[in-house]
Amino acid sequence: MSADRPASHGPSGTKRTFREWLAERIGLEELGNTIRAGQVPGGASLWHTLGSVAAGLFVLEALTGVFLATAYTPSVTGAWASVAFIQDQMAFGWFVRGLHSFGSSALIVVAGLHLLQVLLFGAYRRPRELNWMVGLALFGMVAVFALSGYLLPWDQKGYWAKLVEATIAGSAPAVGGSAQRFIQGGAAFGTLTLTRAYALHAMALPALLTALLGFHIYLFRRHGHTPKWSLSTEEAAARAVPAWPDQAIKNALVGFLAWGVVAVAVIQRHGAPLESPADPTSSTLARPEWYALPLFQLRMFFEGPLEIVATMIIPGVVTAVAFALPFLDRGPSNQPRHRRPVMVASALGLLALTALGVTAIARDARDPAYAKARAEETARTETARRLALKGVPADGNVFRNDPTYHAREIWDERCAGCHGLAGAGGEKGPDLKGYNSRAWIRGFLANPDGPLHMGPAKIEKGMRPVEATPEEMDALVEYVYAETGAADADTAKAGRGRDLLSPKDCDTCHDFDGEGENEGPNLKGRGTAKWVAGVIADAGHPLLFTDRNKMPKFRGKLTADEIDEMTKFVLGLKGR
Amino acid sequence: MAVEPPDERRAFLKLVTAGLGAVTAALAVVPGLGFLAGPARGAAGKGGANPLRVATERDVKPNRPLRVTAVGPQEDAWLRLDKVTLGSAWLVRTVEDGPIRAFSTVCPHLGCGVDYDEKAGKFNCPCHTSAFDLDGRCLSGPAPRGLDELETHVEGRDVLVRYQRFRVGTSKREPIG
Repeated sequence: MSADRPASHGPSGTKRTFREWLAERIGLEELGNTIRAGQVPGGASLWHTLGSVAAGLFVLEALTGVFLATAYTPSVTGAWASVAFIQDQMAFGWFVRGLHSFGSSALIVVAGLHLLQVLLFGAYRRPRELNWMVGLALFGMVAVFALSGYLLPWDQKGYWAKLVEATIAGSAPAVGGSAQRFIQGGAAFGTLTLTRAYALHAMALPALLTALLGFHIYLFRRHGHTPKWSLSTEEAAARAVPAWPDQAIKNALVGFLAWGVVAVAVIQRHGAPLESPADPTSSTLARPEWYALPLFQLRMFFEGPLEIVATMIIPGVVTAVAFALPFLDRGPSNQPRHRRPVMVASALGLLALTALGVTAIARDARDPAYAKARAEETARTETARRLALKGVPADGNVFRNDPTYHAREIWDERCAGCHGLAGAGGEKGPDLKGYNSRAWIRGFLANPDGPLHMGPAKIEKGMRPVEATPEEMDALVEYVYAETGAADADTAKAGRGRDLLSPKDCDTCHDFDGEGENEGPNLKGRGTAKWVAGVIADAGHPLLFTDRNKMPKFRGKLTADEIDEMTKFVLGLKGR
Repeated sequence: MAVEPPDERRAFLKLVTAGLGAVTAALAVVPGLGFLAGPARGAAGKGGANPLRVATERDVKPNRPLRVTAVGPQEDAWLRLDKVTLGSAWLVRTVEDGPIRAFSTVCPHLGCGVDYDEKAGKFNCPCHTSAFDLDGRCLSGPAPRGLDELETHVEGRDVLVRYQRFRVGTSKREPIG
């Protein structure tokens, strides 16, 4: 063996590159050549880009899906919280999630256009019948992908849309109940519904769709592009060009545009929408995503027992006919005029879908109830997203972060039995809607035993209505209003009110110095935080409502912190 | 006008195609990698409301280290937890009514939980046999530093500890988060 032959030289003595080394082992070159081989009969065309652009968008979904899966949690308590975290707090989270969401819409559009192109070119005909069917199955999978993905954020729209879909499945004859339970993972919507949808969306469907897409592409490579119908076989062969790069560059260009449009839409709208967390008790607007709106609208035309026509029969027949199309189409050539029934049916179908979709959108746009519900949901969404910035509690109830949430719970448990909060009067005490506002005070002075004030409390020998001219009443209201510590009180007017206290006999029962213990409450600082806290703690205090009081003492029942929270809550009712 | 030779034109087209493909992929991959890198750069879960009450003073007997758990609120990604076990500590007192010191149970070697060996009167790490005395000094084994001492003080009858985590595996003591 000669010493001048280093190991990097092959047996022939020539220097071997890494490429050659690899080629010998895995045949990379051959694989590349196989992929790049192939001609496009009739020449490269933008029409032929749609299939690969759809496949490219699936790659976009796969990539962004993996990124999102690193932060998403499929649990009813964590799903919304994790998506809100991705959307509002993680670096590029809104962008990645936006690409995933809008990318799915783009995928449906492009796959739909691909399907139309295949119809137009007659590319479903012999020998491509099976690939047409595989393509339809792929389209169905994309739809299931979209529907299952819609649920994952566990927000209002995803939850309710999916609930309606599961119920539709449940309405199917014979197997309906089992189908619904299978989708839900039980008798009702819950944890297993979400984990099932997640497993389907992030594991089963990606694997299935990848395999089926591989088969689709394999069959496509076997049969090649279907050239434009106007070209004879000879003409098409004469104009054939290599797919790589002549068709490939068109595919790349349209693919780039498709991704670019998605990215621009994401930036413009700052990502995909995320509504407030799913609330099974709310009445809400179950609206599917845009691509399902035609089916949603179709249901409107079939009521009661006929609903199944819209949910099962029409979609079922259309699907069956679509699968059988290659065998139904007996046209002599790919010429559209030789396949008139197919062309007309396709055009009518497209028109019907568009009309149904537009009708659904237009109806909602005209509906004031829809606008109102949307506005309420928008407000709830803003609150939830803002509160989520502080971190979501383990039970997933983000509204717990609201400082008034606990107060509201105490109110419901301890106060609502007697007091009203809606301006409709209380059971045994005053309604506190607008408490401390001029209107509330005026109402009290004018009719203390009215239904919104002390009436329900049935106080014996309570306060008599104040008799005064409108100007005097204004001044007295302003005096009481100023005592609450309101910053916008008119001091001059309040002073005139103070001068009326004696002439109007207010001082018979009330003192105004914070010290005197009279029959009625001492009105010094009435309605301030300290005063309200005092009423909650012990309304029967000699400086307050004395022994005529009927409200329970809450000192000892509520902690000092809770009394403080309730005080803030009551003072917050002024603006309501 | 000279017609370009198709081969040269195609070579150029191939380059453009590959370039377009790369740019398209970058549209999702670059922000996606930023998304992945975000949490890696961020701080660890924040433990608020430190220091935390961990024991009653008279429960800490001289030369009888007491293992206590620090339970407190924690922010972890989107989660805000009110009561979660943040970690545990050894409370050590060497003199009756003397000062109490607290050591994190996290071994500074590779992060295992350090036990106390009553017979030998020293702390042992069950994973890689590092041993520490009651002052937290490393006696033997692979630990690069002594046990991590936690700030502690007595308030009334309560022992309060400021629970903290430190980077393990380094001779220098660096707090995390």
